[in-house]
Amino acid sequence: MRPHRTRATGLVDLLVGTALAAVSLAALAAAVASGGRLLLAAGARGEAEDTVQLGVEALTFDARRAGYDPTASGVVPVAEARQDRVTFSADLDGTGTVDAGSEEVTTHLCSVATGRLSRIIGRQSMPLAEGVTACGFNYLDGAGLPIAVPASGLDAAARARVRAVALDLELQPPGLRGRTSRTIVVALRRSP
Amino acid sequence: MRRGSTALPAALAALAVSATLGAAVAELARIEVVLARDRRAATAALLATDACLAEAIAGIAPGWDLAALLAGPDGRSGTPDDGSLALPAGCIGGASAAPGPAAPPRILLRLEASAGGGRRRLEAVIGRATAPGPPALLWLAAPPAWSAVAGTVTLDGADVDDPTAATWAGLAAPDDAAGLDDWLAGEGTHIRLGAGTGPALTSAPPPVAALAARVRAAAPAGSEVLVPGTPSTALALVAGDLGVTGSLRGAGLLFVDGILDIHGALDFTGVVIVSGGVRVAAGGSLTVSGALWVDAPGPEVVVDGSVVLRQSQGGIEAADRLLPLPRRAALLGLRDLG
Repeated sequence: MRPHRTRATGLVDLLVGTALAAVSLAALAAAVASGGRLLLAAGARGEAEDTVQLGVEALTFDARRAGYDPTASGVVPVAEARQDRVTFSADLDGTGTVDAGSEEVTTHLCSVATGRLSRIIGRQSMPLAEGVTACGFNYLDGAGLPIAVPASGLDAAARARVRAVALDLELQPPGLRGRTSRTIVVALRRSP
Repeated sequence: MRRGSTALPAALAALAVSATLGAAVAELARIEVVLARDRRAATAALLATDACLAEAIAGIAPGWDLAALLAGPDGRSGTPDDGSLALPAGCIGGASAAPGPAAPPRILLRLEASAGGGRRRLEAVIGRATAPGPPALLWLAAPPAWSAVAGTVTLDGADVDDPTAATWAGLAAPDDAAGLDDWLAGEGTHIRLGAGTGPALTSAPPPVAALAARVRAAAPAGSEVLVPGTPSTALALVAGDLGVTGSLRGAGLLFVDGILDIHGALDFTGVVIVSGGVRVAAGGSLTVSGALWVDAPGPEVVVDGSVVLRQSQGGIEAADRLLPLPRRAALLGLRDLG
């Protein structure tokens, strides 16, 4: 009788098995990591889109009501107009006066140096967007033509010509290479 | 050796992690979709509210104040319909008095519109425009009749005194603006549009009856202000038809409570208002540097001769100083209420 030979796990089998397992685990880990990165990137992108949208909506909200003046007391819609900041005035409570410490005076301030777009009401500064890489305001006259903005901002006569305010905003979401940007032009709701 | 003792847990763990990641991505996508949908609904509602406001303002008749709007359709104050006005479908709202002094005339208009699953409300301050009338050379109470111009009508919307001034439309009437432009184009070479003439405007009719009452109350002069030489700026009323056979000039505001029938030549700077229609016979000419406002029961303007209308802010302002002219309703400001 021929002796029965049992087939044992050899060294080669073990090495091959280990290698296959390692490859499988590496692929799995890579897939999971990719999924995680995708999740993070999608989250960051979504947040950046929400942030710029918030900045645009805040400007739209304030610009639309600029110059609201039910008592005809002579409210100036655009109290300050620079490339990095714009201040809107409105008599929201119809008292005939504009309270600088309330929402009746609202400033939007771009600061690329600090990477922030802020909405300032009275002494409160509320950040609308962080990670700002480009931001600026432009002003258009009744013909839709841009008004040149000197470093000191528009004077009263030039501000009276403003019929629309434009915001260019660009964010760099953390961890992403592509930037998120918006440009909005909001017409003042006030006939000349 | 027990095979599979680690493979199954590892596979299950990987599946769990993958499922968690997948669920997180799906949830993220769902949130973004919901946000996008909400933004779209809010934007659609905002646009609908703005459109409603624009239509409401366009529907307010030109005039001097807004008291009629506050009184409502029955024209009497203190009744339940005070402040109610006709609004487009999908839009509700009403007018109320604005706080503060009575002048300048203005009202508050509250509107609410729904569209795309969203709803927006706003409050607007409505007043009267600073400039009189519509920015148009010829303001008619009804759409013009086809083939009314056998002669020539020249419409020049550029200001004769200030080339930098905003240009005017050639024609304003209570009709679709595209239809009015079609009429202008359809008249072919009979109508010449200057380079600075803007497209036609849709406008409510000129308030000629109210203007007549105001002119009569302002102790006007008569047709004697039309002279062959240099005219004086004056407010003039001609009760009945005015026939022009010679060559006359005038300035200011001329109200003809009848037919303006021209066989000669009339050159006027300011505003000419006619309640019975304009007839320009072959060989006759009418030149107005300012505006011509016509309301007539029949054909408003029949031209066999020549009509030239040019914008003149100076002429309009002079007429407005003689007698305050009607203004269109204008948006003076708004605030979103939510």
